[in-house]
Amino acid sequence: MDLTFTPEQLAFRDELRTWLREHGPEGALTPEPRDEDEQWEWRRAWQRTLHAGRWAGVHWPTEVGGRGATLSETAIFFEELGRSGAPLPADVLGILLAGPTLMVWGDDAQKDRLLPTILSADETWCQGFSEPDAGSDFGAVKTRAVRENPDDPESDWLVTGQKVWTSGAQYAKWCMLVARTDDTAGAKKHAGLTYFVLDMEQAAVDVRPLVQITGSPEFNELFLDDARIPNSMVVGGVGNGWKVALTTLMNERAGLAFFLQVRLRQQLDKLVAAAKRNGSVDDPIVADRLADLHVRTEALRLMAWKGLTAIEQYGQPGPEGSLTKWLWSETNQLLVQLAVDVVGADALTMEDSWGFELLRARGNSIEGGTTEIQKNIIAERVLGLPRAR
Amino acid sequence: MRFELSEDQQEIQGAARELLAGRSSFAQVRAVVEEQDAEPTGMPDLSKVPGEDAGLWKELGELGWTGIAVPEDHGGQGLGLIELVTITEELGYAVAAVPFLGSTTAALVIQHEGSDEQREDWLGHLASGELRGATTLTGDKVPVPGAAEGSLVVVADAHGGPAALYGPGSGVVEPVTAIDPTRGHGRVPIAGLDPEEELDGRGEWLGGTVTPAGPGFDRAAIVVAAELVGVMQRALDMTVSYVKDRKQFGVPVGSFQAVQHGAAQMLRDVTMARVLTYNAAWVADHGDPAEVRVAASMAKAAASEAGRTVTSAAIQLHGGIGFTWEADVHWLMKRAQIDAALLGGAGHHRRRVAGQVVAGNVPAA
Repeated sequence: MDLTFTPEQLAFRDELRTWLREHGPEGALTPEPRDEDEQWEWRRAWQRTLHAGRWAGVHWPTEVGGRGATLSETAIFFEELGRSGAPLPADVLGILLAGPTLMVWGDDAQKDRLLPTILSADETWCQGFSEPDAGSDFGAVKTRAVRENPDDPESDWLVTGQKVWTSGAQYAKWCMLVARTDDTAGAKKHAGLTYFVLDMEQAAVDVRPLVQITGSPEFNELFLDDARIPNSMVVGGVGNGWKVALTTLMNERAGLAFFLQVRLRQQLDKLVAAAKRNGSVDDPIVADRLADLHVRTEALRLMAWKGLTAIEQYGQPGPEGSLTKWLWSETNQLLVQLAVDVVGADALTMEDSWGFELLRARGNSIEGGTTEIQKNIIAERVLGLPRAR
Repeated sequence: MRFELSEDQQEIQGAARELLAGRSSFAQVRAVVEEQDAEPTGMPDLSKVPGEDAGLWKELGELGWTGIAVPEDHGGQGLGLIELVTITEELGYAVAAVPFLGSTTAALVIQHEGSDEQREDWLGHLASGELRGATTLTGDKVPVPGAAEGSLVVVADAHGGPAALYGPGSGVVEPVTAIDPTRGHGRVPIAGLDPEEELDGRGEWLGGTVTPAGPGFDRAAIVVAAELVGVMQRALDMTVSYVKDRKQFGVPVGSFQAVQHGAAQMLRDVTMARVLTYNAAWVADHGDPAEVRVAASMAKAAASEAGRTVTSAAIQLHGGIGFTWEADVHWLMKRAQIDAALLGGAGHHRRRVAGQVVAGNVPAA
């Protein structure tokens, strides 16, 4: 066991801290605007600032604008970014998901065309995985892609179907799209899927805002009606979509855990401060619940580092990430619920940020794989129990 | 950042697990329990302590386990809390019928809070295993493992007051039959330790002066958390293995989602307790001394809470058989219930965490 940073890691952290002090919320970064579109532009500008400092994709190789950062350094980056109060870069999907997936599965032409515009936020990404009838059951994807000319192996693909929960779709140039290319009876559900890069700038793609219980349209629905994808934008081969998508999904859990964990701790610090201000911290029940949240938050931090050690030892993120995701979402939900008791009436209004957080947190145990699915994954893939019935 | 045991530590862990698999199987633990329940025939064997595997205890002393974290100049091996925690976890996993927990925690307390004279007097005897120790808080909240007439007992005031030491034969221990029959327990009925008042003559102040209990008892709580982690891991392993095997409606019950999610919850709870416990041990060995207190309380709060729920879930997921004396899963629940309360339960430790967080002794994110 060694729970300290190496001198190199400390140097990395200190360089980043210095940079964030100058450019982040304590420095040049303006406060977050309220309007959704302005917020996006604000985060896009923030990503460009990060990119100018070579911080946008620290885990990317140096030849494509990254720093070739180690996993630990990447974790430090997200911890420090969260700690500074700065937002995530606008195109977190491109930086964390699309880019790394293309680096593994993309051909040279795809890499040359798509990678250079990601970190600079010149072209941003959205993710077209989930569908109305394929949420947790990802294998049930119905969106169909067919070759325009079935006899020509180089023919364009035409895609028809519906995707949901596509955040950033209204701004995105590209979409990581999983569609069914083989639905012949007998073909295994997962075997008939293909991973495409869809150009969002075409009339056959219709983006409609999906308003959440918070009242804001953080996500979208995506309607595709013969949307065109050139054959050169198939990633990882026809019929291989399940495996390629898995690379994306695994990456989803790795880096963000550190950002989310620090943000959770900051919310808790904020709540403790509120409880001290209004004296509710003297209520033993409130004190007990605050301490419980503190214990959970610390466990999350340690589990994130333990997971990272495992990746460094064994090469890729394991299904243990499901434990962290489950614990994080539950803890955030408990935290915002306690905030209602501590802060009182204000927390039940939309004027107070706790009101928004209370509503937003309900999504935590659904997005990125429901808690129930996480438990299934843990039972089957960590504990080795037989497939659920 | 490397959150896993070093190779040396893994070796210690592996050796402990291997030895205990052979020397402290459930059949062997059960034999110790049943021996103490049997009607006495002929002359009682005075060398035997009820609820204790004397042979195993002697062996652990000879192997140096009992003194693993005791400094070398007091006859120990001078290793860290991490090594002690690693071994303790394995003893919990085996529900070993030995007074290890009381003796090692008492040694930690004396090492970190005792006077030179107290260290000189007691550490060597505790390290060798010839003297039994017991560690507890005031308020009589729990049957204390290791507490017997001949034990050395260290007691800290439960409300942040001072701590006292009671030597063997002090008369402070009363006999008790605890729910956990796999080791000996005693009652230490001391209501509180008031720094303004004289001790009652049976004991002496720990460290020779009246100072609030601290780093020794914090470390002791971490060791108890470690035993709970081992107990929980065993409960999880047994449960997973049972539900894979046990069939109802023609299929393994482990294929039912309700059962699966119960097992997943067990894994989550034991994982939380484990990372917090090893973190606390590391902080105690290498970290900022000011952070040991809150790290220890976080570990014990999580382990106490999870120790109860995980071992109870193990009985539940075993179904009817889990409620019988014949199945071994109850040993785990019984051990966990005592350890959960020992040196402060989850509520006690969350109160301490809250106090530290509110006082600003825990740095903000």
